[in-house]
Amino acid sequence: MTFLYPYRHYLVSFALLLIISIIGELFSGWLGLMNIALIYLLPVLVIALRGDRHATTVVTAISVIVFDLLYVPPRYSLDVHDLAYVWSFVIFFVVGYTITYQAKRIQANAIKEILLNTLSHDLKTPLSSIQGNTALLLREKNIDEHTQREVLIQISDSTHRMNRLIANLLDSARLKDNREILRKEWCDFEDLIGVAIQEFRHDRVMHRIDVEISPDMPLFWGDGGLLVRLFVNLLDNALKYSSPDKPICVVMTSMPTKTVILVCNDSEPIKKADLKNMFDKFYRLENTADIVGSGVGLSICKDIVIAHEGEIEAYNTDHGICVEVVLPAPKVPARTLREE
Amino acid sequence: MKTKDLILIIEDDEAISRMLSLFLDQQGYKIIVAGDMKSAIRELQTQSPEIVLLDLGLPGGDGKTLIKSIRTQRSTPIIVLSARHEEKEIIASLELGADDYMTKPFSTYELLARIRSAQRRFMGLQPSSNILQCHELVMDTAQHTVAKNGEFLKLTPTEFGLLKYFMLHQNQVLTHIRLLKEVWGVGYQQEMQYLRTYINSLRKKIEHDSTRPAYILTELGVGYRFGCGDDFDSKE
Repeated sequence: MTFLYPYRHYLVSFALLLIISIIGELFSGWLGLMNIALIYLLPVLVIALRGDRHATTVVTAISVIVFDLLYVPPRYSLDVHDLAYVWSFVIFFVVGYTITYQAKRIQANAIKEILLNTLSHDLKTPLSSIQGNTALLLREKNIDEHTQREVLIQISDSTHRMNRLIANLLDSARLKDNREILRKEWCDFEDLIGVAIQEFRHDRVMHRIDVEISPDMPLFWGDGGLLVRLFVNLLDNALKYSSPDKPICVVMTSMPTKTVILVCNDSEPIKKADLKNMFDKFYRLENTADIVGSGVGLSICKDIVIAHEGEIEAYNTDHGICVEVVLPAPKVPARTLREE
Repeated sequence: MKTKDLILIIEDDEAISRMLSLFLDQQGYKIIVAGDMKSAIRELQTQSPEIVLLDLGLPGGDGKTLIKSIRTQRSTPIIVLSARHEEKEIIASLELGADDYMTKPFSTYELLARIRSAQRRFMGLQPSSNILQCHELVMDTAQHTVAKNGEFLKLTPTEFGLLKYFMLHQNQVLTHIRLLKEVWGVGYQQEMQYLRTYINSLRKKIEHDSTRPAYILTELGVGYRFGCGDDFDSKE
């Protein structure tokens, strides 16, 4: 039955259509054509609230056809003698689309609100650490040097975390805006992964990142800034959920038509459903509330990969989790000059 | 006694200019702050600073215009401070004559390194011999050889030209266009693919680990920098 789940709104609308058709049949003499027409608007309203224009079109069309068949004279045929009824049918669609449009707007606002809540939470976490720690330094006169250094390192870590989050937000906004503003150029993956690793230079985890790149890796036509963001987020995620002190492996393999990038860590396996949903917005594993970060990072990864016509997925390995990114080879390969 | 070097900070955000003044004062510099274009021009004319730190996002006047007008009169090193995602602006200001750039937020010690290195370049410490050196890399431009830890490296002519240009401009940010023009020649400015390929192959020959380069540093969206000297070894 689960395969029907995405279509549940259609089912509800059709069931409603069936019920009102029965009611209409039973009370048709008593209700009058006008009221019956209004009842037939109900399934249209129900589906329109989903905010999906395609669904609205389908249900409205069916609703109009059933109404036409059963009630518009001549009955039990699709012919319409009085053209005034065509006008009613148009009204059905107008109502349907107007409500769909409004519903969409409300949904967009709801998403914005969730985004805002998640973000303010994720920005506030490092901010409170900074506030608390600086207050401590300002007030306490006799802190020993070791503690003082510890406190300062925490402040510094928080600022880097905030910086990374803001960078993500800016890139995400850029992606949302329009696909066309990708700043594509010839990129060298080795160069970009190097820049991404540099971002962790403050975090004392850099030495845990192992990189392996095929020697014949061709250049890629893409947005360098966004690809760095992709690598930073994947590394950040792999590090966050990894068993402490275990290495993070990055393997880049070039094939004739594509480049495969694997980022793997050493950690507990995760549920199949979680693997699928990992890249959805604001998704976070249930038992990881204590790990700093948000569901924004991986969803931006997905957006970046899709913008480059690639694919991203995650799977469990014997001792950890791998994220696999597949990017298609550029249609026209880079020209290179060979000299010996 | 040597007088303190004067730094002009052109920045409208008070939090940042105060932080910079405090820090650079501690490092032994004399500081003047200009909050807008007008006072910046006045301070430039009356004080003649040794270094200019310029915020590109200055209100009431384009920072780039200021770079242009400074360059018509003097060659004082200019370090541009800019927000992230402004690569185009950064490249434009470098082409107009700015010496270096930093994107906000930046580490103050990294800025200090850039200031010192810009000052050294300004003093005109051009290498006079045929030998260019950076740590274990030694290039002999007359003999056309490069050695790493005393071992000769096999470089192609283009790799050699690229490395030579880097070693002649150590610690300096070099835009893609400039590298292509200077190493490949006029007409090659758009051939990024050549630059990417040769940076990759050169790194494999001179770096210990080409995914963690220590010499050829990537300035994302802008260009490359050949990092050399103690200032650039330890990032914070």
